[in-house]
Amino acid sequence: MNIFKIVKKNMQQRALATTLTGISVALAVALTVAIVHIKRGMQQRFEQSTLGYEMVVGAKGSPLQLVLNTVFNLDISPGNIPWSFVEKLQADKRVKAAVPFSVGDNYHGFRIVGTTDAFGETFGYRLAEGRWFNCSLDALRDAFKEALEHSHERIAKEKGEEPAKPAAHHHNAAEAVIGATVARATGLRVGQTFIAAHGVEVSPNAEEHTDNPWTVTGILAPTGTAVDRGLYINLDSFYHIEGHEVRDTGKPEEKDNDPDPGQVSAVALKLRSPIHAFPLYWEINDGEEAMAAFPAVEVRKLFAIVGNIDRILLAQAILIGLVAGVAIAVSIYNSMSERRREIAILRALGARRGTIFAIVVWEAVAICAVGAAVGVAGGHLVVAVANVALRQVSGFTVAPLALEAAELWVVAGSIALGALAGIGPAWRAYRTEVAENLAPTS
Amino acid sequence: MDNAVLSLRDVRKSYREADGNRLDVIQVKQFELGAGDQIALVGSSGSGKSTLLNLIAGILLPDTGAVCVNGTDITQLPEARRDRFRAGNIGYVFQSFNLLQGFTALENVQLGQMFSGGGNGERGAQLLEAVGLKNRLHHKPRALSVGEQQRVAIARALVNAPALVLADEPTGSLDETNGTAVLELLRQVCTDGWHTLLMVTHDQAVMRHFERVVKLEELR
Repeated sequence: MNIFKIVKKNMQQRALATTLTGISVALAVALTVAIVHIKRGMQQRFEQSTLGYEMVVGAKGSPLQLVLNTVFNLDISPGNIPWSFVEKLQADKRVKAAVPFSVGDNYHGFRIVGTTDAFGETFGYRLAEGRWFNCSLDALRDAFKEALEHSHERIAKEKGEEPAKPAAHHHNAAEAVIGATVARATGLRVGQTFIAAHGVEVSPNAEEHTDNPWTVTGILAPTGTAVDRGLYINLDSFYHIEGHEVRDTGKPEEKDNDPDPGQVSAVALKLRSPIHAFPLYWEINDGEEAMAAFPAVEVRKLFAIVGNIDRILLAQAILIGLVAGVAIAVSIYNSMSERRREIAILRALGARRGTIFAIVVWEAVAICAVGAAVGVAGGHLVVAVANVALRQVSGFTVAPLALEAAELWVVAGSIALGALAGIGPAWRAYRTEVAENLAPTS
Repeated sequence: MDNAVLSLRDVRKSYREADGNRLDVIQVKQFELGAGDQIALVGSSGSGKSTLLNLIAGILLPDTGAVCVNGTDITQLPEARRDRFRAGNIGYVFQSFNLLQGFTALENVQLGQMFSGGGNGERGAQLLEAVGLKNRLHHKPRALSVGEQQRVAIARALVNAPALVLADEPTGSLDETNGTAVLELLRQVCTDGWHTLLMVTHDQAVMRHFERVVKLEELR
């Protein structure tokens, strides 16, 4: 027999009140754990995804939209920038690498991203199997030229004119390297082909590019970032698809000698030195052609906004916890009237006042500790369930079994709350008069 | 008496009444019990018998005087030490049994051991067996007859092998048959264990079982 067995017996005797107050603690803890876990997990995923992307450049508009579209395969592209601007960036001595991206198609909801063969090396993405596609800048320039010729041919036909005969062009094969999640979800393997659907999201009426199947040449090793959910194709093949024509003003007089036929959705930059970041950033943003954004900064801004929401949710969770603490205090305090005789018996048997005080405090602590343990498990269950929605909204999931250091603080806080809630009733128990309460009350 | 298990000297306990006057409840000039003594202390209802037992147990403190158990004046001990002393040296049997309802018979007996800081689980089981409850160890009080409940209370009072056993009308809630059986059992286990027994009662039938009967009024 020991003090904890007495605590356990007391809790069993008041099973209903113990369970109800324990549930309220569990709810508060579950909510807190889920909020902390999801926010921290998502922030980690987002920050992880921005690694290597020092600066992105795209059409003028929302920098957050540009970052979400380029780095996270989310949202829609804010527009295109001319290829000449990309070449200008590539020629800039401050730029170590400039990797262009073009988006516009999907495969089973996973975004297809056209890029060059510098993509993997620049951002350090490793292949789990297979090989990278070929897509040099020369091939890309050639593709732009060919696409423009086709565009002009189509316009001439529409006007009933004799189209100019397109020049012979060398085509790289249409190839793709796919992310780990895409491979797992779609079952695509190296050597298999797939047909893209038009648009960045699944739509029942989306046109399929049945004439242009891509062959999977490689599968990326898992990165835990948005890259896992992308299909990366050689950018030149992107422009061989009908409807992906390069910039076309529609003016026949410009068709022969368009000096700037190409365009891309965005370009990600790696700089030779961090010292160049802000001068280049201001230079681009002061110009009229494009906009620059720092992915890390935009992610921090995004989570600063999200942070306000989760602070409100956390405040609610803490409020629920405080209400639970008060409920425990009231419940045990009220039970003291019924338990005065039991306390007197224990005192008559030799229990010290301090022991009685401790029994009551431990009871409140035990309710909170059990509630907190159930709450932590419940919080992780909420995360597991929320993952379904998170995957749809962001493409990311949070590991439901991973433990956050904050959870220990939540549990410790709950236990402290229990101890605090137990002090009032414990004091009442401490002051119980033995002789007066030994006789049964009718 | 040099080796008195219980010794009271000039003990006085009074309560303040609603009108502000003090009412003397207990006045004991001198009272001693030796090892193995068994005494019935009699007095009418409301005469202060239970108050006297509570003073001896250290649950109440007298206004004046000394209450010595096994040579220790418990009125001089700080409360926490007095509680601990009570757990180890004084067994208390109540009229209303005072068993904890959420605990089994064995657990109720073990509670008696817990606060003395010693003993083991086996002694509780042995005592319950000795009072005829071998097959009732894991029954809760509600599943026991009143006679069985009082036997559990006797086992609990004796579990620490106290020098002094106090019994406050232990047969008061029992019918005649059960009352006699419990009384004989209590006297027998106290005799076997050389425990000093002080029982308060106002029941003439109970008094007849004791060779020595002391009236409370005689102690003044």
